Amino acid sequence: MSESSTIKHPGNTVRSRNIITVFNSILRNLFSSPPDSDKEYKSATNEIFYLLNRAILLSIFFFLAVYKNIQYLFRRMGSRISTLAYYPSKTPQLIREDVSKLSKIPKRVSCILDLRDDEDENGGVDGLISDISELTAWSISAGIPNLTIYEFNGTVTDYLPTLRRYIKKNLSIYFGTDAIPIFSIWVPHENIIIYSTDESQTVHPSSPPPHQVDLKITILSRVDGKPTIVELTKTMSELALNLELSVKDITTELIDEELVTLVGHEPDLLLSFGPSLDLQDYPPWHIRLSEIYWEPDNMYVDYAVFLRALQKYSNCKIKLGK
Amino acid sequence: MSSISFSGLLNSVFSFPILGYGASFLKDSVISVMRTGPVPKHVALIMDGNRTYAQRMNLPLRDGHNAGAESLVSVLDVCFRLGVHHVTIYAFSIENFNRSQEEIDTLFEILRDKLELLSLESSSFAQLNKIKIKIIGDKALIPEDILKDLEDVEERTKNSTSPRVLNVCFPYTSRDEITHSIREIATKAQAGEIQDIKNNIDLKLLHDSLYMGEEAPPLDLLIRTSGHTRLSDFMLWQCNENCTIEFVKTLWPDFKFLGITSLILKWMYYKTLQLDDEENDQGSTERKIVKNILQDLPHPPNIVSVTERG
Repeated sequence: MSESSTIKHPGNTVRSRNIITVFNSILRNLFSSPPDSDKEYKSATNEIFYLLNRAILLSIFFFLAVYKNIQYLFRRMGSRISTLAYYPSKTPQLIREDVSKLSKIPKRVSCILDLRDDEDENGGVDGLISDISELTAWSISAGIPNLTIYEFNGTVTDYLPTLRRYIKKNLSIYFGTDAIPIFSIWVPHENIIIYSTDESQTVHPSSPPPHQVDLKITILSRVDGKPTIVELTKTMSELALNLELSVKDITTELIDEELVTLVGHEPDLLLSFGPSLDLQDYPPWHIRLSEIYWEPDNMYVDYAVFLRALQKYSNCKIKLGK
Repeated sequence: MSSISFSGLLNSVFSFPILGYGASFLKDSVISVMRTGPVPKHVALIMDGNRTYAQRMNLPLRDGHNAGAESLVSVLDVCFRLGVHHVTIYAFSIENFNRSQEEIDTLFEILRDKLELLSLESSSFAQLNKIKIKIIGDKALIPEDILKDLEDVEERTKNSTSPRVLNVCFPYTSRDEITHSIREIATKAQAGEIQDIKNNIDLKLLHDSLYMGEEAPPLDLLIRTSGHTRLSDFMLWQCNENCTIEFVKTLWPDFKFLGITSLILKWMYYKTLQLDDEENDQGSTERKIVKNILQDLPHPPNIVSVTERG
């Protein structure tokens, strides 16, 4: 987890916090010296007013903390109940039936997953791999052709053979061992593509796919975001310096084309399974019009959440600037 | 629908002079209470819902946009009084050029009129509060007469001494902004201004070459009204890290004092806890850091092998 500390998360995503620690920190704030009260609060009356106002603010926070905790309890209970009520028992037919009621489904779904600590429930690389294999099975059952997995550190790229084995194993539970759906895993940054059918070799993306692929999986990490755009800028600057590229030709379309080859297409639906929306440095070029879905206080990769995201997508109107 | 009638009711209640006075006193106290906490430095707004508002209230489109402008003034007032330095608003997207010419013209006119109203006289909102107005976006796409007026607005307010800035994104898309940044750098590289391309082009240079440049603080809070959960090509580069994104169902013309203060209060609540966590974490990591355990160990006894005795 040390690497993920290089990114700053927005305040509302700080996790694992109970009411007692919250009260504690509010109290500490009340008695600690004000942070930046150097010039504005010079006189004694102003100082008293400041302290009074600060006390009011912190007591508002106190009630907010109570409210948030109760809300959290209810939301967790709600999501537990919906998980129990909705669970499709690993049957593709049921999932397809759920999806068939919708007016449209997205062509590309992208999921932001977290690498949890090893000791947490469903944590570590194993947890991540099992989450990805579940998402794969749901996507294939729902009929979605492209799935992108974004994990900040890109940990799973070191475990591609394990990932492939796990996904196949999980798919065989859904679809039976006779006809396991075919999938491909593409890691744009490493320029690797592997197919579920060839156990051994890794094929370069340029060579034609051996079979009809049911699901294309793309694995992204933070290097595919801003750092890739920086690299692209370097390449374009060099080309411009050598007069191989006119500066006038650098357009949004050209950059889009380049980034589609380097990172892939923009997803139609961006799903975050965290307790609050945290984009975690997701490739900025690729979140232009994506419908974003997350559920407050949700923590797990859960079929009910996945289905509700698809329902939300089917109801949204697509209008470009209109 | 219920929110509209509720806020309408509130508005009519507060139009009584005494109650109105009470309300403004209440608002002042809320602001002075909130000023004692950590306040976001940079807030961005996607002001969505003017047209839906006009449709629901059976008003002409123009009145919808006017109501939105009124909302903007009250939200700006709250933000700047709280101590927010930069407020960025999404006034017009490059994609909006797909709308009918009539609506585009109306939007341009309203925008120009409102910005002039905000900044023209010495008693106007921007000059009184010392707000610098900046136009962010591809200015080449603005019709000439409007552009001239807008540049006048920028000119009039640019000498403000306070850190308050209102960034008006017009006509803007984030992809265009990133492209602009790449193009700027490539132009510089071509002119030989960047010596070592491999090492000198980095994230910071790319960030500083964006329209908003280095002076804008990192984005803390992005708010989109009227319930769409999309970013619609707005500040993609800035909002994807360490930024709270809030999507609220309220239509923009109904988004006023209560709407903005509750969102900022929520942000402050989490920020207070986060700052507290960070303080505590720093204390603990200092204790945890041990450089090299193996080297710090005391020397072992002499190594003597039974078979290789010299």
